[in-house]
Amino acid sequence: MSRFDTLPSAWMVWDGPAPARGGAVLEQTQELDKFLAEIERRAFRMAQVALRDADDAMDVVQDAMLKLARNYAARPSAEWRPLFYRILENGIRDLQRRRSVRKRFMVWLPGPKEDPENEAQDPLDNVSDGGTPVPERLMQAEAMDKLESSLRALPKRQREAFMLRNFEGLDVAETASAMGCSEGSVKTHYSRAVHTLREQLGEVW
Amino acid sequence: MNEETLDSASSALEERSRALFQDSVAGLDMRTRSRLTQARHAALEAADRGSRRSWLMRLPVWTSAVGVTAAAVLGVALWFGGPQSHHHGPMPTADNQMKFEDLDIIAASDESSGDAMDMLQDDIDFYAWADKTASNEPIA
Repeated sequence: MSRFDTLPSAWMVWDGPAPARGGAVLEQTQELDKFLAEIERRAFRMAQVALRDADDAMDVVQDAMLKLARNYAARPSAEWRPLFYRILENGIRDLQRRRSVRKRFMVWLPGPKEDPENEAQDPLDNVSDGGTPVPERLMQAEAMDKLESSLRALPKRQREAFMLRNFEGLDVAETASAMGCSEGSVKTHYSRAVHTLREQLGEVW
Repeated sequence: MNEETLDSASSALEERSRALFQDSVAGLDMRTRSRLTQARHAALEAADRGSRRSWLMRLPVWTSAVGVTAAAVLGVALWFGGPQSHHHGPMPTADNQMKFEDLDIIAASDESSGDAMDMLQDDIDFYAWADKTASNEPIA
């Protein structure tokens, strides 16, 4: 063994991707793809609950995916989930801020006229997802609508804590990392959120 | 309501809300699922392109850093490992010989200094005689 065999390769001390180790990069990309595929729908629904708009939710989720893949793919995969949700929550907050600013200016301007006849129909819209019978699904949809309304009525931090802990299943430390606050704050926000939701939904459920 | 009842109500709410959320996720329409898949692929592709570009963009920085380091190493090697400077090394033999020749000349000049002293003494005697003679002569 030559003495150079013990020296680290140049890419090992460089923090960027390794061009010579195509296999490692491919493996990482596949792992990231798997991770994103696993969380993308929940992330989308959480963004949709917060933003009340499917297109905005899609934009925010895609942006979060891109930022995670571009900036944090080299991090250990265990860190991806809190990082992703931190990016997502920041994106949601930014969008809500932009909306409130836009709303102030748009009050003075007439809104765009919608023409439903010219709107392109996507054939995928008509595909049934099968499964649950219609009456039960309607009841679930109604209950989810109430839950969403109650979640939107919560203060932002409480809503974030509740959705990350309860919907996404992050533990307290991961939630604190995703929200950028202490674990104590997460517990407080979560507890208050549960208390408020229980008061609002307890009788209905 | 006591604390135990509150806790069970809370956990029931948590379970129910979680189940509803999961149902809503499972019930996402095909169009949304397709858009999410496209978004994921686009994100991964863009990140891959970005990382390749960033590697290529950093390559000149890499090579120039290596070049500067190599130049520095070469400079240090030349400074310490090159031919010895005239100021620091021992004198060459020719220089030594020249130095000795110079010393010989000086020494030789020193050897003749006795004659010079004799000549100077002669001059003093001459000036003393001339002065005496001039003072003894009557003024015309």
